[in-house]
Amino acid sequence: MRMREIVTAKKSGTQQELVSRGLWERMRRHTELYLLFLPVAVVYIVFRYWDISLGFVAVFKEMRVGQNVWASPWVGLDNFRMIFANPNVVRTIRNTIEISLLRLLFGFAPPIILAIIFHDLVWVRFKRVAQTLVYLPHFFSWVVLYGLVFALFSTGSGFINNMLAALGFQRVEFLLSTGWFRPVLIGSDIWKSMGWGSILYMAALTNVDPGLYEAAVIDGAGPLKRIRHISIPSILPVIAFVLTLTIGSILRAGGEQILIFYNEAVFEVADVIETWVVRVGLGRFQFGVGIAVGLFQSVVGLILIVIGNAASRRLAGRGIW
Amino acid sequence: MGLKPRGSEFTYQIVIFFIALVVSVSALFPLLYVVGVSLTSMPELISRNYFVIVPRHPTLGAYQRILQNPTIWNAFAISVARSTIGPVLSLVIMVLGAYVLSVRTLPGRRTLLMLIIFTMLFTGGLIPRYLVMRRLGLLNNFWVYVLPMLPDAFGLLVVKVFIENLPDGLLESAEIDGATHTQKLLFLAIPLAKPALAAVGMFAVVNHWNSWFDALVFVTRRNLHPLQMVLRNLITADNFHDAAIDILGDMTRVDTVSMRMATVVIGIIPMVMLYPFLQKYFVHGVFLGSVKE
Repeated sequence: MRMREIVTAKKSGTQQELVSRGLWERMRRHTELYLLFLPVAVVYIVFRYWDISLGFVAVFKEMRVGQNVWASPWVGLDNFRMIFANPNVVRTIRNTIEISLLRLLFGFAPPIILAIIFHDLVWVRFKRVAQTLVYLPHFFSWVVLYGLVFALFSTGSGFINNMLAALGFQRVEFLLSTGWFRPVLIGSDIWKSMGWGSILYMAALTNVDPGLYEAAVIDGAGPLKRIRHISIPSILPVIAFVLTLTIGSILRAGGEQILIFYNEAVFEVADVIETWVVRVGLGRFQFGVGIAVGLFQSVVGLILIVIGNAASRRLAGRGIW
Repeated sequence: MGLKPRGSEFTYQIVIFFIALVVSVSALFPLLYVVGVSLTSMPELISRNYFVIVPRHPTLGAYQRILQNPTIWNAFAISVARSTIGPVLSLVIMVLGAYVLSVRTLPGRRTLLMLIIFTMLFTGGLIPRYLVMRRLGLLNNFWVYVLPMLPDAFGLLVVKVFIENLPDGLLESAEIDGATHTQKLLFLAIPLAKPALAAVGMFAVVNHWNSWFDALVFVTRRNLHPLQMVLRNLITADNFHDAAIDILGDMTRVDTVSMRMATVVIGIIPMVMLYPFLQKYFVHGVFLGSVKE
């Protein structure tokens, strides 16, 4: 501690000295660092900021296939108007929000419950094995995940349908019916990500002073009381963190997963902004609306995350930044 | 914690044990099932009404059919190439950015940091990205898999926090000895940040290995498709037989069910092999440090 104070004191001393020499001089002294940063800057400008600025220009233009963005005519807010004039796009926005909220509703608790279980389990050897198994699916691609879902749920050869048939029930078209699409989509997402999601909460629980639990036991608090009064409060900041990020991505419904899982039979309930942009925006050259709806996603996301962050600071005492 | 197995404590342990058991079995079962079916021959599948968990006469026929095929090996090579070249270059960018932004006296440090964090919260969208790639001549080009993934803001922050949390004296002592930043980066920061770099690098490998979306959007030339993209075309096909003819050029009769499952297993195996290494890193929680900051 002492050592650290001395070092910072020394640092701020040199800083004072540097301030007096002016910004230019300070920057000149760091030339080497700026040179080291140059490749980083280039990569971020070309592969992130170029997209963003191009998007903001092109969204006010009429985009034609094979025409340069700069040469295209300005059209004002037409592209944004087209979002809401196109019933298909409006449907994708509604589906996006619905699927996001369903993911939140059903996917939020399982990692928390799992973390509390792993934290409280006393049979350590079993716990290790169980953890190893539930973290694993996080590392599979959505392609593999669909393969697994197909193996279990396909109508002709899927395990679940074989069971149903063997028990004398009708086979169910899980993958082709609008009623089953969302449960299968969200269920498989929970299956894939719940173990991984529990790690953050586990970390918060491991940081709790074990003495707290011991004292609670001595005071006669049962397991459920300890969950309510120690475990849950100690993961509250993580809950706020995860909620803020989730709310910020409400207009992103997991397009990569849906793009693999959906088919024409279920477009009505499955088509979301991301899938529409790939299939129609890019695939059928509706660049204008595609760009507008993409920016709409980003802007709304940014606004929501700023609001969420403020709320989280107020309610949980810390935000994500 | 040394709880004594009595009363409510005991009941609680039993209940959570069973929940954990059910969850882990449900995590394992689909994998075992897929392996089981992939090892079963078509005649056996038909004679048992496709209801097979353990094959009576296991056969590697489905795997032979797939692995004989040059398309799969070409895709495998593309995947290996992007999963090695990509993470290495990403790490270079990450460690450069992380080191520079960890120097507290750097003028403009906060602004640069904000600009990098901003890219995590805001994107230009897919179509602008597509137009940029077209402009750069990266459509149907191997480097479209690598270059756009170089700005990995999250990884950069993880490494930066790790460097900042190194014991105070380490980087400063070199300053006294008159080392340049380049020397400090190469001979102090990189060796010391190895655990963070290894962790972030591992996850970059996983990311690259599992990617198929960039291939779908930016690459139409099939011989440039990575393994996941080829697997996708096979696994999601309505008609596996037609897809196999189309993609693998395999004209003979195909055991569709077991072959489709063998395709899934081929997608799983590399990750399962990598998993022990990955686990070492995420269990030690290099990532969690950055989240807590």
